[in-house]
Amino acid sequence: MIVCVAVVGHQNNPLYIQSFTEADDALKLHHIVHCSLDVVDERVNNPKKSGPLLNETFLGLLYPIENFKVYGYLTNTKVKFILVTTDLDVKDADVRNFFRRFHAAYVDAVSNPFHVPGKKITSRTFAERVSTIVKSFGLTSAV
Amino acid sequence: MVREVAESCVDSLLTEMVASYCNRFYANKPELAARRIEAIGYQVGHQLSERYTMERPRFSDHLEAIKFICKDFWTELFKKQIDNLKTNHRGTFVLQDNKFPWLERISIDPSTDKVNSAEDDSFTTAENKAASTISMHLYYPCGIIRGALSNLGITCAVTADISNLPACSFVVRVKA
Repeated sequence: MIVCVAVVGHQNNPLYIQSFTEADDALKLHHIVHCSLDVVDERVNNPKKSGPLLNETFLGLLYPIENFKVYGYLTNTKVKFILVTTDLDVKDADVRNFFRRFHAAYVDAVSNPFHVPGKKITSRTFAERVSTIVKSFGLTSAV
Repeated sequence: MVREVAESCVDSLLTEMVASYCNRFYANKPELAARRIEAIGYQVGHQLSERYTMERPRFSDHLEAIKFICKDFWTELFKKQIDNLKTNHRGTFVLQDNKFPWLERISIDPSTDKVNSAEDDSFTTAENKAASTISMHLYYPCGIIRGALSNLGITCAVTADISNLPACSFVVRVKA
């Protein structure tokens, strides 16, 4: 299950962050997302470690923490997408697929002429679309 | 899902936009009108580059980003590529389009201004006027290029050069 997703701008400014848990642990999840930004920077600036993943938008598993796994994705425009999940056996293909759809939703949201670049995404349509994508995550693999 | 827009609509919109900014909103301040038109282009380029760079690996240097503008980005906008790319390898790039679609249908009316001015002057004034009108139409594509590049992390200045219609070249100067 996905517990949190986030969009972070190119100056590490939060553009969108949403947790999907019943419990009151938003702060903890935000902290995990915040920590992951350093891992993203490290991946991008030390491309040797990532090897064949060089310059690919999908950054793969950033780090496991407690009972969460954190995945990252960095677009050409230096916008970061972060995914925090509790699933232990996640297929890479599922995560890639998730990020692809998430990216498409993001692009549609920022193409709105009323959206101010670099500001938080407040669109309700975007929020709904993201929660649909989050809910459908991993369903194909379960079947 | 790909949604397309008729070319003629975009052509008319561009002409109309330039005309309203130059003749109505900022009739006596051409620099201000140019800045506003460029700013609109900037926003468009900024948003388009976000969309068109989806599903492609990140660029490792400036040249790669410029090549993307010349090939894929230009194809998405105009269904053709930039015809010639020159660079001095020190941050200046010249993108030449031999048949820029947004200038293709621009015609110059030589009869304007002939009545009031003297006969020998009239030709040059009309020519100057035509050149400044055409350059007004180029602020928008300049803004698009600058917006796209700045979203890809390259701050630059873009100017346009008209050699002979409908060819034109865009000069990109990357700011270090």
